[in-house]
Amino acid sequence: MSQPTPPSAATNPSPAPAPKPATVKIQVDGREVEADPKQPLIRACHDNGVDVPMYCYHPGLTPVGSCRICQVEVAGAPGQPSRVVAACRTPVSPGMVVQTDTPKAHETRRECLEFLLKNHPLDCPICDKAGECDLQDYSFNEGQGKGRSSEPRRKLEKRKSLGDVIVLDEERCILCSRCVRFFQDVTHKPQLTVSGLGSRSTIATFGDKPLTGNYQGNLADICPVGALTLKPFRFQARVWNLSKSLSTCAECSRGCSITVEALRGKEVKRFRPRYNPQVNQYWMCDTGRFAYAPVTEQLAPAGSALGGRLAGAAVRGYNGLELAEVESALSEVADILAAHPNPLVLISPFATQQEGEAVRELCAALGVRARFVSPAPSALKDDLLNTGDPCPNRRGLSELGFEPIEAAAAHTELAQAHAALLVGERIQELLDVAELAKLPASLRLIVFDVRAHDLAALDVAVGVPTHVEKSGQWLNVDGHVGVLNVAVPPPAGVGPLERTLRELRAALAPSAATH
Amino acid sequence: MKEFERYLLNRIAAANSHTLGVYRQQGGYKAIEKVLKTPLKPEDVIAVMKDSGLRGRGGAGFPTGMKWSFMPDITKDPRPRYLAVNADESEPGTCKDRVLMERDPHGLVEGCLIACYAMRAKAAYIYVRGEYRLSYNRVQAAIDEARAAGLIGKNILGTDFSCDIWMHKGAGAYICGEETGLMESLEGKRGHPRPKPPFPAGSGLWKSPTTVNNVETIFNAPFIVERGAEWFKTMGVPKSTGNFLCGISGHVNKPGVYELPFGLTARQILDEVAGGVWKGRKLKAFFPGGSSTGLMPASAIDVVMDHDSVKAAGSMFGTAAMIFLDETASIPQVMDVTLRFYDHESCGQCSQCREGTQWLHQMFHRIARGKGKREDLDLLVSLANGMAPGKTICALADAAAIPTLAAVKHFRSEFEQCIELGRDPLAPTHAPAPELQGAH
Repeated sequence: MSQPTPPSAATNPSPAPAPKPATVKIQVDGREVEADPKQPLIRACHDNGVDVPMYCYHPGLTPVGSCRICQVEVAGAPGQPSRVVAACRTPVSPGMVVQTDTPKAHETRRECLEFLLKNHPLDCPICDKAGECDLQDYSFNEGQGKGRSSEPRRKLEKRKSLGDVIVLDEERCILCSRCVRFFQDVTHKPQLTVSGLGSRSTIATFGDKPLTGNYQGNLADICPVGALTLKPFRFQARVWNLSKSLSTCAECSRGCSITVEALRGKEVKRFRPRYNPQVNQYWMCDTGRFAYAPVTEQLAPAGSALGGRLAGAAVRGYNGLELAEVESALSEVADILAAHPNPLVLISPFATQQEGEAVRELCAALGVRARFVSPAPSALKDDLLNTGDPCPNRRGLSELGFEPIEAAAAHTELAQAHAALLVGERIQELLDVAELAKLPASLRLIVFDVRAHDLAALDVAVGVPTHVEKSGQWLNVDGHVGVLNVAVPPPAGVGPLERTLRELRAALAPSAATH
Repeated sequence: MKEFERYLLNRIAAANSHTLGVYRQQGGYKAIEKVLKTPLKPEDVIAVMKDSGLRGRGGAGFPTGMKWSFMPDITKDPRPRYLAVNADESEPGTCKDRVLMERDPHGLVEGCLIACYAMRAKAAYIYVRGEYRLSYNRVQAAIDEARAAGLIGKNILGTDFSCDIWMHKGAGAYICGEETGLMESLEGKRGHPRPKPPFPAGSGLWKSPTTVNNVETIFNAPFIVERGAEWFKTMGVPKSTGNFLCGISGHVNKPGVYELPFGLTARQILDEVAGGVWKGRKLKAFFPGGSSTGLMPASAIDVVMDHDSVKAAGSMFGTAAMIFLDETASIPQVMDVTLRFYDHESCGQCSQCREGTQWLHQMFHRIARGKGKREDLDLLVSLANGMAPGKTICALADAAAIPTLAAVKHFRSEFEQCIELGRDPLAPTHAPAPELQGAH
């Protein structure tokens, strides 16, 4: 997994890197490696490319050492036999000699898996986790082909709702307690607990109340088995059919690193957080996680410019908005701009750095200054990740020299303008479609957005890709670069916005560009 | 059996032995007086304890003086330090601490004071199992009396030694008798044992240095301090000194709690102390130290009862809770109820223990009901070896695996007979005990 490239020092006064921790030398599988003595042994193994299985251990949570799958063999003092220890609870000590690939270590893991599978329902064929399940993977690697138990398996609740987001399958649960510790360690508002004793243990919320908060979705990510699943994702896709692209969350200025997962490369099914130590660690909020409705919008009905994504462009003709080729739409725009110099240019805070630069070039040609729309902060702000600022690229656009403009001010200026360009994904929604509908037909309104709305003022609309359909970069609130990649192809006829804007600038060339 | 010196239970015969007045009449609180008025330095107390060779009476037999000396140096580590007294006596068969707490609670209080003084602990917490209501009330009353008499609290006996003792009532979970589970429970959390390291002496209660000792261990401290290590070493055997409380139960004529010196054979204890097997029957097997120690066959009855000899014979001294089984006892039934207990009491953290105790119980249950299969016995051994030793956070998995291995090893033919016949010829005719479902 590639990390975002570090931003240049000039544009990004990011905090100084943390001082490198003092390390000690240990030996893992015959190789001498550096290990951080503050981290457990399993971390030293993982950091050095040695795979050690884990269930209860999660690098973002307090280790408890309860699942016992991460057992490795550690050489004893001279003359002493080697010991098998749980790597997640064993501190690193200088000169430690660790073997992960010995018969003794494998045997211990096999035993552990046999116990874990004793009561596991093995309903992989109907389990959403199948294909990305740690129990499945490690059983395949380390387990035995045949179960030796002829005892009845535990019968527990198969679908216990834990609120709006999560469903618990008690039978699949291996009681690793990651979910319990997530609320203790990450949100600091404990909501889950292990209820009952021994083999009668189950995961439960306090007082059987539904889960609350904006971070519940993370439970499904950290659950190593299919016990905690996302309601919106249940039975939506087999995970091996999902193509995965590195991307960045668009819902606030934190810009959490995410993976966009699309069914057979076409339909976005899931956003999942991606480890980024500088931005979001392992987590993301539910607002961002379930924000794939705007990027899965259907195309407008054939022959119509309204009622869905705009594939291509639309120009106002005698019969209202009519579909048009992008090229002819751009020449129409050029004509409007020639007749109405000094248009009002507003861009979406979703615009990437690359799109922002293209807008800047266009504005230089037009001799105007563009501003980016800055909607009011949302009430979603919390002390974990969500900044409450719905502008994913506020920092980047500011660094490119764009000033923010609030929606109310924009409405006033739009009402007074002769011509206006609204550029970028979701700009109409951010300005409020109902307000835009009030603009007089005399305004020559040009919109570059994912869809066209039935606005009296609208003259030309050009379709643009959503943020999962384009590549580019955003700068988050702290100046870290968030990358966007093409996860799903844009609809036919929709090209990258920066290319469209440069084509527009070329179309302006004879008239405005020489201005 | 030759005569031996007794000290542990000498006071309990007196009427109202649990009150401060009677305790003082019998020489109580002389040891703490000696410590504070001499005055002995804390290091001296620990040295005496080390020299006495006292081994923990909670089951593991760890040398007590050494355990106390693990507490960090007060000059380098200013954190408060604590003593936790494990009175969560819940091992099946064990019933010795109860006698001390009910009949001689001031002995425990005095022991706590000495231990706290030696380890510079500011407070002791006595964790009593919830079912021991009388024990709780008696120890609490003793604490109240001692506090009123200036023996607990600030500036005890006019010295600058201050110490408090608090009681905590458990809620009935066996696992809270495991020292780290006990500490979690004391802190108000679920009694889930903590992985070691860190050990309690480094990071125990509220992340401060803590020592956890059994009631009987602490109870020994005043005697050792008052009478000296040399006196203590005259009793028992060189590596297991002093006397111990032996809780005898099962098919014997005189079950009960007896004070015995280390070094007697199990046969001497059975015949001369417990009055032999009841109803003129023959001995079949016995647990030497509670149900988690390996079941021993009657042929091992000449084992010497001290920590090292029992270990050499393939079992454990444990808490000296000897359970004798006569020839009518069915080993499959015994193992069924034993594993039912561990299945019920596993805390459920570690995979091997949570699933393994249930699995072993299900198998023993099936075999005891004549539904066993030939391959079950090897599977039992394989599973027990997968659970222990040292594969889990605490020793509960070992406590289930050890008796399993021992039972299959010593009584394989009896299991095989059950499996071949399709029924247990020794099965009790009365209705089986009800399933433990839904209890706490």
